[in-house]
Amino acid sequence: MQRPVASFPLAPSLKVKLINAGFQTTNDLVDLRPLQLSKEVGITHEEAVEVLQTLRCDSQTAQERASGGSFTALQLLQQEQTLGTIVTFCSELDSVLGGGLPVGKTTEICGAPGIGKTQLCIQLAVDVQIPVCFGGLGGQAVYIDTEGSFLIQRAVDIAQAAVDHCSLLADDAEQRKSLKEFTVEKILSNLFLIRCHDYVELLAEIYLLPEFLAQHPDVRLVVIDSIAFPFRHDFEDLSQRTRLLNGLAQQLIQMATKHSVAVVLTNQMTTKVWRGQSKLVPALGESWGHAATQRLILHWEGSKRLASLYKSPSQMEATVQYQITGEGFRDVPHSGPSRSHDDDSCNDTSGNYCKRPRVEGTQS
Amino acid sequence: MVVLKEGICPGLNEDMIKSLQAADIRTVEDFVSSDTEDLAQKCSLSYKALVAVRRVLLAQHAAFPVSSADLYEELLSSTAILSTGNPSLDKLLDTGLYTGEITELTGAPGSGKTQVCFSVAVNVAYVLKQSVMFIDTNGGACANRLLQMLQAKSSNKAEQMEALERIRVFRVFDVFSLLTSLHGLRTDIQRQASAGGGSVKLVIVDSVSAVLAHTLGAKQSEGMSLMMQVAGMLKTIAKDFNIAVLVTNHAVRDGNGRFKAGLGQSWSHVPRTRVLLQPVESPGNSSRSLRSATLTKSSRQACHQVEVFDLSSSGLSEDKGNSGKRKLDDLKL
Repeated sequence: MQRPVASFPLAPSLKVKLINAGFQTTNDLVDLRPLQLSKEVGITHEEAVEVLQTLRCDSQTAQERASGGSFTALQLLQQEQTLGTIVTFCSELDSVLGGGLPVGKTTEICGAPGIGKTQLCIQLAVDVQIPVCFGGLGGQAVYIDTEGSFLIQRAVDIAQAAVDHCSLLADDAEQRKSLKEFTVEKILSNLFLIRCHDYVELLAEIYLLPEFLAQHPDVRLVVIDSIAFPFRHDFEDLSQRTRLLNGLAQQLIQMATKHSVAVVLTNQMTTKVWRGQSKLVPALGESWGHAATQRLILHWEGSKRLASLYKSPSQMEATVQYQITGEGFRDVPHSGPSRSHDDDSCNDTSGNYCKRPRVEGTQS
Repeated sequence: MVVLKEGICPGLNEDMIKSLQAADIRTVEDFVSSDTEDLAQKCSLSYKALVAVRRVLLAQHAAFPVSSADLYEELLSSTAILSTGNPSLDKLLDTGLYTGEITELTGAPGSGKTQVCFSVAVNVAYVLKQSVMFIDTNGGACANRLLQMLQAKSSNKAEQMEALERIRVFRVFDVFSLLTSLHGLRTDIQRQASAGGGSVKLVIVDSVSAVLAHTLGAKQSEGMSLMMQVAGMLKTIAKDFNIAVLVTNHAVRDGNGRFKAGLGQSWSHVPRTRVLLQPVESPGNSSRSLRSATLTKSSRQACHQVEVFDLSSSGLSEDKGNSGKRKLDDLKL
C-alpha cells in the first residue's frame, strides 16, 4: 500500500530530503538498499538504514493490526470487567464512579487546599492493595509527590484502618489466611514513593515510568500529587506549558491503557473572574480540562465536603458528600435526610445518588 | 513527485533516464515542467520520443473532469445518510451524518462529545446494522456505557452482543500511530470492498485534537504537516469508500469568552459540518444533563441554529421540556 513518507515518524529534515529527492510514498522506497538510498538522497548510511527500518517495521505493525490489533467493543467490555475498580471507602462516591476508580483510565481530582485531595490519594494507594478475596485488586501503587505533601504517618493511619476493616469482614479460611499477609508493613512496602521537585524531573520520571511498570506488573495505581504545582510557576511561555501538558496527558493515557493502571492526577483550583463574577475553576487552563478521562472536583459547601463528578465517559454527573476522618476518606454517616437542596449555589442533581442506601460489601 | 523509473511509461528506457538524470531531471515533475525542446538539445535525445513520453506522463498524472450529471447520479446511488438516533441532532445535520463527509463535534470538557459519539456508534451498529470504527485517542472508549445504551434500546442479549461486535475499537495515543491505523484501515476497507465483504459506514475519531494539539505551535514545524496528513487521510477514507467520518475537537475560549474550536484556522477548513456542544445552564433547570448543540459550519443548513437535547442514561434523547428550537441570544453565549 502507498503511504506518504511525510506520515512516518522520521526527523522532519530527513523527510524533506526524501521528498525533494522524489521519494513520496513507501512504494518508492521499499526495494531500495540503504547504500543506494544514501547516495540518491544525500544522507548518511545510518540515516538510510533508519528510514528503511522505520518503513519495514511499520508495514509489519499494519499487518498485525489487520490480523487482530484492534478489538471489538465486546472484547473491550470483557476487558473492562476483568480490570475492576479501586474502591474509595466512601460508598456514595464509589457508586457515582461506577464501583470505584476505574483501572486503565486517567482521573483528575481537583480541589481547593485542605479539601482532601492528598487524603483521597493516600486512601486509594492503600485500597488498591486490598487482597483479591476481599474484592480488592491486590496491587501495588506508585505515588509521585511533587508538593512534598505526602505524610507517611497518615499513610500508616489509613493503612491500619484498612487492615482493621478487613479483619472485621474476614469470615472464611481463605480471607483469614490472606489477612496474615495484609499488614501495615506490607502495605507500606508495596507503596513506591517518588519525589519530584520540578517539572523537568516530573517529565523525566514519566518517561521512565513505563519501564518501572514493566518490572512491577502488579502496580495498579499511579498517583501524581499534584500535576499543577510544578507547572504553575517557572513558565514564561504559557503555550509551551500547554503543549508539554497535552503531551504528558497522552503519555499518561497510553501508560494507563498499556499497563492497566489507574492514573490519578491532582490539580489545584484557581480564581477566574468572568463577567464581573469570580469563581473557582481547576488550574492549568481550559485545554487541560480535556486531558484526563474523568474529572472529579472536590469542593466545600458551608462546612460540608462535596465531591462532584464533572466529566466521565461512562457515569452521569453527580455530587455526593464525604468526610475525612482519622481513618481516612469515608462516607458521611446518614442521619435522616442529610442533604438539603435549599442552597442554590450547588445546583446538583444527585438526589437519587445520595439517597441510595449504603451498599453493604462494596468495600469487601 | 514520482521518480522517473523504467517501466512507468512506454518509451522511457534506461538510457533515456540516465541522460535525463545527467541533466538533473529526476522526477516526473522535473520532466514535465522543463521545456521539451531545451531538453532534447541538452540531453541529445529525440524530440519526438520526449514529446511522446511527456504526453503519456501527463495523461497518467492528470485529473479528469467529471460531468456534474454523472456526479449527481453517483451521489444518488452511493451517498447514504446515517441517522444519529437523536431527532434534534438529526435536524441540525439535515437528517444525519452524510457519507463521504467529515463532521466535527467540538465542545468544552464534559460537554458530551464522547457521549454523542457513543450514541451515534450504537445507533449505527444496532439500528442500521452497519460496522463502525471507533478510534479512541484519549482513553474515553467505554464499552460499559455502550452496553448501557444498547440495553435501553433492546432487551435481547444476543442483539446487544451482535451490535457490540460491529463496533471495532482502535486505541492510539500519538499522531503516528493514528496515521498508521488510518492507513491500515484504508487497506482493510479496500480489501473488504474488493472481496465484497462487510462494509464500514462510519469512522469515529475521538478526539483528533488530543494527539495533534501538542505538536502545534511555537517553533515546531512538523505539527502542521502532520495535521494535514491526518486531514488528508480522513478525507480520502471518507470520499473513496463513501464513509461518514465523525471527529471530535476541543473547544477553547477566545478573548471574549466565546467558545471556538481548537486546532486553529487551517483545521477549520477540514470538516464539512461543525457542531458546537455546550451545557445548558439555566437557573430553573435542575437537570445538568441538558446540552445545546449549535451548528457553526454547514454547507446545507443555515448556521447558528440551536437544538437542545438530553444526555440521559439511555443515550441521547430529545429534550421534552423545550420546544426544541431556540434563538442563539436566549442562551447568552
